[in-house]
Amino acid sequence: MPPFLRLLPEQLINQIAAGEVIERPASALKELVENAIDAGASRIDIALDEGGLAGLSVADNGCGMSKADIELAITRHATSKLAEDDLLAIAHFGFRGEALPSIASVAVVDITSRLEGEAHGWHLHIAHGAQNQAKPAASDIGTMVEVSDLFGSIPARLKFLKTKKTEAAQCLDVVKRLAMACHTIAFHLSDSGRNILNLSAQPDNDVGRQARLAAIIGTSFAREAVPIEAMREDVILHGLAGLPTMNRPTTAQMYLFVNNRPVRDRQILGAVRAGYQDMLPRGRHPIVTLFIDLPTTEVDVNVHPAKAEVRFRDSARVRGLIVGALSSALREAGMQATHEGGAEALRHLSQPSYPSSSNWASGRASGSNIQRPSYGQYSASPSAGMLGSAANFQSPLQASPPPNAAGFLSEASPQARYEAPTEQEELRNFPLGAARAQLHKTYILAETEDGVCLIDQHAAHERLVMERMKEQQLAGQIPSQALLIPEIVELPADQIESLLQLEEALQSLGLYLEGFGEGAVLVREIPALLSDAAIKPLIADVAEELVMLGGSSALEDKLGHVLATMSCHNSVRAGRVLNQEEMNALLRQMEVTPAAGQCNHGRPTFVTLSLAELEKLFGRR
Amino acid sequence: MKFAIDRLSLLRPLGHVSSVVERRNTIPILANIVMRAEAGQLSLTATDMEMDIAEQISCSVQQEGACTVPAHLFYDIVRKLPDGAEVEVSVADGNASIKAGRSAFTLPTLPVEDFPAFNISDLPVHFSLTTADMRHQIDTTRFAISNEETRYYLNGIFFHKSDSGALAAVATDGHRLALAQMDMPQGAEAMPEIILPRKAVGELRKLLDDEDGEVSVNLSETRAEFAFGHVRLTSKLIDGSFPDYTRVIPKGNDKILSVDTGLFSAAVDRVSTISSEKSRAVKLSLTNNLLTLSASTPEASSAVEEIEVSYTGEDLDIGFNARYLLEIAQQVEGDVMQLALSDPGSPSLISTPEDDQNLFVLMPMRV
Repeated sequence: MPPFLRLLPEQLINQIAAGEVIERPASALKELVENAIDAGASRIDIALDEGGLAGLSVADNGCGMSKADIELAITRHATSKLAEDDLLAIAHFGFRGEALPSIASVAVVDITSRLEGEAHGWHLHIAHGAQNQAKPAASDIGTMVEVSDLFGSIPARLKFLKTKKTEAAQCLDVVKRLAMACHTIAFHLSDSGRNILNLSAQPDNDVGRQARLAAIIGTSFAREAVPIEAMREDVILHGLAGLPTMNRPTTAQMYLFVNNRPVRDRQILGAVRAGYQDMLPRGRHPIVTLFIDLPTTEVDVNVHPAKAEVRFRDSARVRGLIVGALSSALREAGMQATHEGGAEALRHLSQPSYPSSSNWASGRASGSNIQRPSYGQYSASPSAGMLGSAANFQSPLQASPPPNAAGFLSEASPQARYEAPTEQEELRNFPLGAARAQLHKTYILAETEDGVCLIDQHAAHERLVMERMKEQQLAGQIPSQALLIPEIVELPADQIESLLQLEEALQSLGLYLEGFGEGAVLVREIPALLSDAAIKPLIADVAEELVMLGGSSALEDKLGHVLATMSCHNSVRAGRVLNQEEMNALLRQMEVTPAAGQCNHGRPTFVTLSLAELEKLFGRR
Repeated sequence: MKFAIDRLSLLRPLGHVSSVVERRNTIPILANIVMRAEAGQLSLTATDMEMDIAEQISCSVQQEGACTVPAHLFYDIVRKLPDGAEVEVSVADGNASIKAGRSAFTLPTLPVEDFPAFNISDLPVHFSLTTADMRHQIDTTRFAISNEETRYYLNGIFFHKSDSGALAAVATDGHRLALAQMDMPQGAEAMPEIILPRKAVGELRKLLDDEDGEVSVNLSETRAEFAFGHVRLTSKLIDGSFPDYTRVIPKGNDKILSVDTGLFSAAVDRVSTISSEKSRAVKLSLTNNLLTLSASTPEASSAVEEIEVSYTGEDLDIGFNARYLLEIAQQVEGDVMQLALSDPGSPSLISTPEDDQNLFVLMPMRV
């Protein structure tokens, strides 16, 4: 006998839906907090029990629900948020009407709510989908939802939950992301009675938003990040981009929002990475908060059950905007290196471990590693890259060498190692200050107005050379080498389509290709710089990125890598003795070079220590 | 085993044989060479599993036998011994001792039985050609061998019987192609199409430097053996099919440029001095009997040089990789080279007038 079709019972349908939406306490929490935000609350209190494993509750002071609404709320696809029944015009976090019934089907849920103007509130108790009648109850205006015994009815899922600590961290992440998006709402999060997060409501302006971000990610981030502000037609992008030297091993600290909805979208992540191109070390990720605002008709959020992914109508435009805005902002900020380096150094310094006597002696002996500037060379003509001000500062020296010049030329005693000539004072006004000495033939010590800078001469020069090469490359057409035997690269149809759409952009990079029947492209010419590279993997990388991320930087990456290797070989190495003139020239060039804060491999080129930090170090403060 | 031999007669064969041994090996025995002393002859053999070289020399054998010793170490020792020294090698208790004058060395040995035995498979095709011809075939083409591993079938020289019945050697890296043809030697008519790998080409070419006379070639589909003088080199062949190169040799390129080879390569070399180190682009601008070579960089340096040439076609601008031009010019035989051009996007044919046996195809660059 053939099996016959039947409709699944409501309870099972809800459990299936819960399988998509509710996978752990954090996802239940996300749905409830989003409901609270959608209800117009100005304060949301979240209490976790055992990291959410034992239970969680969300209380808001929003609009509340009537008795009928409470009872309807736990029916599937019941929502107040799709006013026009138009899935394209979604202005709320929720719209599917699935969250509450899903949670209710896998947990014990208590909903207490009171509408403004009503004498009392109502309470509804649902245990794993078994619904009772709503009863009158005492309640403040707003809604409180308590969830306990989560997954009590699905033991299988229970087994997949992680430790209390991990689940609590997940919950915290959810709340953080939502709190960043809604800075006008006060959030309070506690776990088993312990305060975890307490965020007060911020005014509805940029200052308020910054304050909220600083409160969540940390003030050092807010201080050192680069503001992003860009707009293309009706897409607006704003947020903060962390300096490349402040990077993390995972994407966890990339906070992305589309129309204020926290998302973890691959396309946007890819665009952010492309924006940070050749400034980050391999496998490291930046810290960013990016808000993308665009008309609701331009974006489809109904792609992913948990709404973590979105689909843009014009994804190329959004990608272009992100990549462009990030890379230009970061390049302008080239002169900043994160304070983290300095702070880190400070931490090491402030835990002094006194060297043993033998080390101490050798330390003194290595005093000769400090390259004293030799004034005898000052009459040499300034190097081409010297800025005007640096050149000016030479003239008085040529006229009258400082009286102690002889001391510098002879083997001076270590105590007399250095004394700043007054002519250098004006150099201190530059961001990287005046070069004072070369340490271990590798680092330049510079004095700035409010502290000191240590510069890695190789890393810094490498970036200068690379940026110059890049500029030259992009200035003209990138030379391409025609292939004697055109290479046929087999690719899936969607990848071919997106490759061919970008034909012109690829040609400007020296890659000429054309369609070759179904399922393949024919490569006619390749960038001359890459003429030794394997073509197939290169094309496959570009095509895959185009489809997955809506844009590709694989080709630029590859070209950049060749340039980086070339510039690495063409730059001043560690171990090369630099005179003061050369050191100052390097500093001045760094100040005007984009992205000079990191070398081509993403390592910092310099660290700064402020005078205040130095004073702290020596107990003067 | 015990034998004695004059240093000089040992040094050269040892150099030949040990050059096939890789410096770093995961299989220890591959770092060794086999020495076998028999009937007044010393034979040396080494392999890298892809190819092997064996060479025989006469010496005074006092006790017959065989052993293996570390190749590079042994070679370095013999190299540093004084001129005219008599080298005495003997093996006892698993160690080889090498004595010359008042110097004495001891090297560890590995059992000969562990040395990989090449299965001497059937090599059905036999023919021979002069070493000069063999050298010419290799020299004309080897510079164009591809280094790119993914297209492994381009990593060698393709020897085969061409459509016109000649013995053709071809190499290409996808940017340029070199073809050398010679009259088919007797017995080679039925030869299989073979691709001789780059390393074997290099070793073979080195060995040919010292030899005159004939090279006898034995071939199968998978192996090739070259024997001349006292040396025998065998190599596996690349298992792949070489693309149909005849399709990319342009026919009907009607813009013919003839230029003195020496003047041309000197000028290209000068002009390309300033072009960026990786791409090395040089532009050729042709107008009535005048060739203008130029190069420029984004840093605003530029170079121009004019050469008198014979050219009567339409004016034409075309870009090339200078390194490719120079490498081809080096292999062109004769004082005059001829470039048959079509347009800035199509392949050019480079040859010598009146020589249709050797030719080069070069793809232009877009500059």
